[in-house]
Amino acid sequence: MKTPDRKKLIPSIIIQTIKIYPVILILIAFVVIFSSLYPEKFLTSLNLTTILRQFVTLMLFAVGPSIVVVTGSLDLSYVGIWMLGGILVWFLKPILGMYSILVIPVLGLATGFLNGIIHAKAKMPSFILTLSLLVIYSGLTATIAGGIPRTVKGYDFITADFIHGIPTAFLWTIPIIIVAIYIMKRTRIGIYLYSIGSNEEGARLAGINVDKYKILAFTISGLFSGIGSVIIFQHQGGSVPVVLNLNTVVYPLVAIVLGGTLLVGGSGGPHRTILGALTFTVLIRGLIISFLDPTMIQLIVGLLLIVSIVVGSRGVKGVTVT
Amino acid sequence: MKRSEKIMVRRPLPSEWLRKNISTIGPVVAAIVIIGIFQMINPVFLKYQGIITLVYAMSYFLIAACGLTFVIMMGSFDFSVVSILKLSALICVLYVDRLGLLVIPLALLVSVGFGFINGILFAKLKVPSFMATLGVSIVVEGIGLYLSKGFLHIVTNETFKALTVTFIAGLPSIFYWAIGICLICTLIAIITPFGRRVYAIGGNPIGAVLSGINLDKYRIYVFILCSFLAGLAGVLYMSQLGGGSVELGADMSIPLFASVVAGGTALSGGVGGPHRTLLGVIIITWIQAGMLMLGYDRGMQMVVFGAIAVVMGIATIDRRGVKFVK
Repeated sequence: MKTPDRKKLIPSIIIQTIKIYPVILILIAFVVIFSSLYPEKFLTSLNLTTILRQFVTLMLFAVGPSIVVVTGSLDLSYVGIWMLGGILVWFLKPILGMYSILVIPVLGLATGFLNGIIHAKAKMPSFILTLSLLVIYSGLTATIAGGIPRTVKGYDFITADFIHGIPTAFLWTIPIIIVAIYIMKRTRIGIYLYSIGSNEEGARLAGINVDKYKILAFTISGLFSGIGSVIIFQHQGGSVPVVLNLNTVVYPLVAIVLGGTLLVGGSGGPHRTILGALTFTVLIRGLIISFLDPTMIQLIVGLLLIVSIVVGSRGVKGVTVT
Repeated sequence: MKRSEKIMVRRPLPSEWLRKNISTIGPVVAAIVIIGIFQMINPVFLKYQGIITLVYAMSYFLIAACGLTFVIMMGSFDFSVVSILKLSALICVLYVDRLGLLVIPLALLVSVGFGFINGILFAKLKVPSFMATLGVSIVVEGIGLYLSKGFLHIVTNETFKALTVTFIAGLPSIFYWAIGICLICTLIAIITPFGRRVYAIGGNPIGAVLSGINLDKYRIYVFILCSFLAGLAGVLYMSQLGGGSVELGADMSIPLFASVVAGGTALSGGVGGPHRTLLGVIIITWIQAGMLMLGYDRGMQMVVFGAIAVVMGIATIDRRGVKFVK
């Protein structure tokens, strides 16, 4: 066997990578377009730090649901966990003291488990279930908070400046993403979730306890959302909004879909969501500093969502799509 | 021979009959109980003024819910109903001064256009209906925000306002609009071939295809019908309200969905209908008004509606033939 030619090896690796992750091309295109149009605004250290900060929020929300999307379901409850968890921290601080921050991961775990049980055992479509739960949580948040955003002080150590110029929340994100990718790529759980997503009936016939692993997927997703919410909570100044904003729900979904995870399940995963979230953040920042009317941004986000879903679900056959 | 005759004439036990018809009886009983409870707490509900208030609150809601019922009957979901309702209402308030009553066909045309896009995305491009309509709803919201620039707009055209607030026989005319449309939808669902095919697709899409139903065509038609009714609800809502901004109709999608499932239309598709949604809308509107009366704010209402949506969704789903859900 000949040793491969060094000069041909590197281009072939690049071509292979782009074939697997076509979103890289879009990311490069966005960066080139925005930095050539607005060189004095886009390529500043302030803007790059802002991109990183927004990327963190998006990524921490999207990492849990991208595990559930692999199984073909949807989990929209992340914003609910963040809002209700944040307000419970404020509510329980006088009782539990500093430990009250642990309420958010516990709430995430419990919510994920509840979602999984209801979805797997009662056969309720996951998007409607998690959407209803999201609305219930936002209603509880508004009721507990009394309609006013509450700020909790004392958790500054979570996002204290560690390396100058890089948001500490970003440093927290790295191990979380690595754990998520490890679960999906190197453990039995991940392999089973991919097989459930690509063919649920086949997975059942192959002896996988489908209900158990679906519940597990939702629970892991809830836990990741809970841990992420702790960081987002402090990242955004120790308070949560008390009114549900649809954009916070939709942006992580756009990041997941843009990264190339199919909604029908069976492929993709957290490693693709990184690229999707980065591309989406660059686009949003670019649109904000561009000359476009700010009210146009939502329109463009919606179009991007539709286009990326259509591209992502090309080749899907059959009549059972609901 | 005798034995089979015996079996045929044997009357069903009360428990069997109840189990068979629980999804019909349940909402009726729930509606009566809820109306009774709130009547005991505050007797003003079933007086003339109370009825008028409730009619205003439920009429446009009923029209939009009828459209959503068809989609859920087919086993799909339409997230964009509220956004299309909002866009249609905003088009009315923005252009009624320039176009007069011609604004109504314009708003309906725009709504139907977005319904067509929903249908194409779902039926032809095989995007799951929830995600397709979510994407369309974001676009529609964006258009609404762009057109209205976030300001509050007021309707000054009296003819447009008179569409819904003229009193006929003691009730505002929007009541007759809503009841008429609910009746037409019920007839469409029950006696026309279109309705029967929608039920068939909801019950078993593969079976429907094998028996010769053009699945894609009917899916597109149903989404167009749903968006048309949402647009009509938006027009009437704006005529009744007399003004609004892009904020109107916020948080309406879960009550809308809850009213469809509370009436007994199952998420798994194939059962239910607009006549059931009438009951569900009565239940939801009554709870909303009652909770307002008892001093609960919007947050608590959302908790209750979300809980109704989850509980009724679980209760009505037919789990016998379903192998898996996504």
